[in-house]
Amino acid sequence: MKDSAIVICRCEEVTLEELTNTAKEYKCSARELKLRTRAGMGYCGGRTCRFAIDAILMEATGNQTPDQIPLKYQPPVRPVSFQTLGGGCHE
Amino acid sequence: MNNRRILHHPVLGTMPERNAVHFTFDGKKYKGFEGETIAAALLASGVRTLRVHEEKETPRGIYCNIGHCFECRVTVNGQPGVRSCLTEINDGMVIESGKRQPTPLKRKEIARHV
Amino acid sequence: MYDAVIIGAGPAGLSAAIACAKWNLQVVVIDEFMKPGGRLLGQLHQEPDGTWWNGIKEANILVEQARALGVDIWCGVSVHHIEEVGQGWRVHTNKERIDTPKLLLATGAAETPAPVPGWTLPGVMSIGAAQVMTNVHRVRPGKKGIVIGINVLSAAITRELQLAGGDVVGMVLPPVNPITKDAGNPRKVMQSLLRISHLAPSAFLRMGGKLSRANWMQKLALTFYPKSGVKMWGIPIHLRKAAVQINGEKEVESVTICSVTPDGKRIEGSEQTMDVDFVCIAGGLYPLAELAAVAGCPFHYFPELGGHVPVHNERMKTPLEGLYVAGNITGIESAKVARAQGFVAGLSIAKETIQSADSAIDKHLENALDEVRKIRSNAAIQFHQDIHAGRNKMESIYKEQFS
Ligand SMILES: Cc1cc2nc3c(=O)[nH]c(=O)nc-3n(C[C@H](O)[C@H](O)[C@H](O)COP(=O)(O)OP(=O)(O)OC[C@H]3O[C@@H](n4cnc5c(N)ncnc54)[C@H](O)[C@@H]3O)c2cc1C
Ligand code: FES
Repeated sequence: MKDSAIVICRCEEVTLEELTNTAKEYKCSARELKLRTRAGMGYCGGRTCRFAIDAILMEATGNQTPDQIPLKYQPPVRPVSFQTLGGGCHE
Repeated sequence: MNNRRILHHPVLGTMPERNAVHFTFDGKKYKGFEGETIAAALLASGVRTLRVHEEKETPRGIYCNIGHCFECRVTVNGQPGVRSCLTEINDGMVIESGKRQPTPLKRKEIARHV
Repeated sequence: MYDAVIIGAGPAGLSAAIACAKWNLQVVVIDEFMKPGGRLLGQLHQEPDGTWWNGIKEANILVEQARALGVDIWCGVSVHHIEEVGQGWRVHTNKERIDTPKLLLATGAAETPAPVPGWTLPGVMSIGAAQVMTNVHRVRPGKKGIVIGINVLSAAITRELQLAGGDVVGMVLPPVNPITKDAGNPRKVMQSLLRISHLAPSAFLRMGGKLSRANWMQKLALTFYPKSGVKMWGIPIHLRKAAVQINGEKEVESVTICSVTPDGKRIEGSEQTMDVDFVCIAGGLYPLAELAAVAGCPFHYFPELGGHVPVHNERMKTPLEGLYVAGNITGIESAKVARAQGFVAGLSIAKETIQSADSAIDKHLENALDEVRKIRSNAAIQFHQDIHAGRNKMESIYKEQFS
């Protein structure tokens, strides 16, 4: 197997090659890279791969890691069923 | 008893007696112990593969073991998406591995992260 | 209604709860793991003086103390969102919703990956997963394994696997890629290992600890690095070998490794395959701050602290009213530091909740702050070298921009 075929985002099975090529071609932001490749959009919400995606992006675009989190977190940070979203309240 | 469990540990000591619980995984019967997670009980029984990737069908087992990666998710008593590394095993639990899914269904299921 | 809600029952969350409860606050600690204690539960190291740091015991002490003071601890409950509402915070869990005037995020750390081809196969797990399986659940991760990634955490955990009777064939570097970078470079890894040499009862590393600070010495040590690795606690550490590929049809069957130059370049034709049924991947730790991010807390990037950290001051307050942070969410350090930080956070919360003119609490707070500094300076395990610099920078950023 070629190194470039390493899976980076396990949830969506996005490879290093796909991410590097996309980042280079579109000079992407983290958000755009995520939308184009689906990396970080899977079940875990990017908890496992976000560090790797940031690193790939920095390498491909030559930018430094910014102070704000590159790949924005969105609620819910754990997948929830629709029943739970409507959930009860503790007073 | 097999030697997958660490009953005696030079620093942590000997495991206290625990009640046995019985459960099924994909229809097969297994034994575990009260207070352990589904993932631990299955691994102690030699089961490492907990699901396949919904689309690519590649096999998966636990990865982080502390609830972060969701790789260990299984269906428990009919409820899908349960993290086996965080969920205690109970007597009579019916556990199913994650299977390949028709693609559109899966997309809907994870839409909340978009 | 609770005076404060604490997310995370690790050393930081539990000691914060104890501090709050000592000042008669009603608090609840929420954790998604099945037992309280957080990552403390898996820890088992020998201190430089030879005594054992047994995380399960340490966790039990905190849990018992908290319960005796009337703290509620909910386990198996996940928080998926928090929002600022009116004068406080709304915490959304998979069970119910709780409103609280004061909210402490003590969610700890998560592992960063060191991706290797084949790492999605069952039998491949993070090094922390193997730690929890072994020490908390008391189940072996497999019959025979290999550790990919050589750092403070993986050395400590490999030792724990061996202590429990596990068969680890050795520790190797990850392949060099844009993610692993320095972690695949023998020279850089050697430098970071020297910082833990006081923990390693190996003549080579002890000697290394004293001498190899000199550049030429490191070069020499790496050039003549033994083919069979250098043993630490009997486990071969291969600073000149890297994992190439994890093999197996449905589960892990073997790992292909190769030799690398002192700079981490692969030496063609040196590939060799080792039969293993489990693989531990050790990439490192980063602060798990997702809830601070969805709350809109400002962040700062500090490599010294392990990544993006929510802005906070020494008293563990964030710029958002009523929102506090403590423990590894503020930077990667040992459990003892997390516990001391938690105590500070708890006292901060208590002080602002009771708002009494009584200066006793200020005194306690000052002492607790001193304690954090002392423990930080004496820490046996340090994940990042420049931790003090990172902490100081954060303090000045808070002062300049947010106070
Ligand atoms: C896998 C791993 C292994 C480690 N091993 C060591 C070691 O051997 N030695 C060492 O010194 N340090 C180790 N550490 C570092 C460790 O983070 C600190 O030692 C210490 O435990 C940090 O304490 P804490 O209270 O900040 O967080 P933790 O102890 O991590 O506790 C945080 C708790 O928050 C809970 N939590 C997080 N998010 C949510 C949520 N959304 N909803 C509900 N609950 C949530 C978690 O379940 C966890 O129990 C390890 C860290 C990790 C991640
Ligand atoms: S193994 Fe990662 S969530 Fe269970």
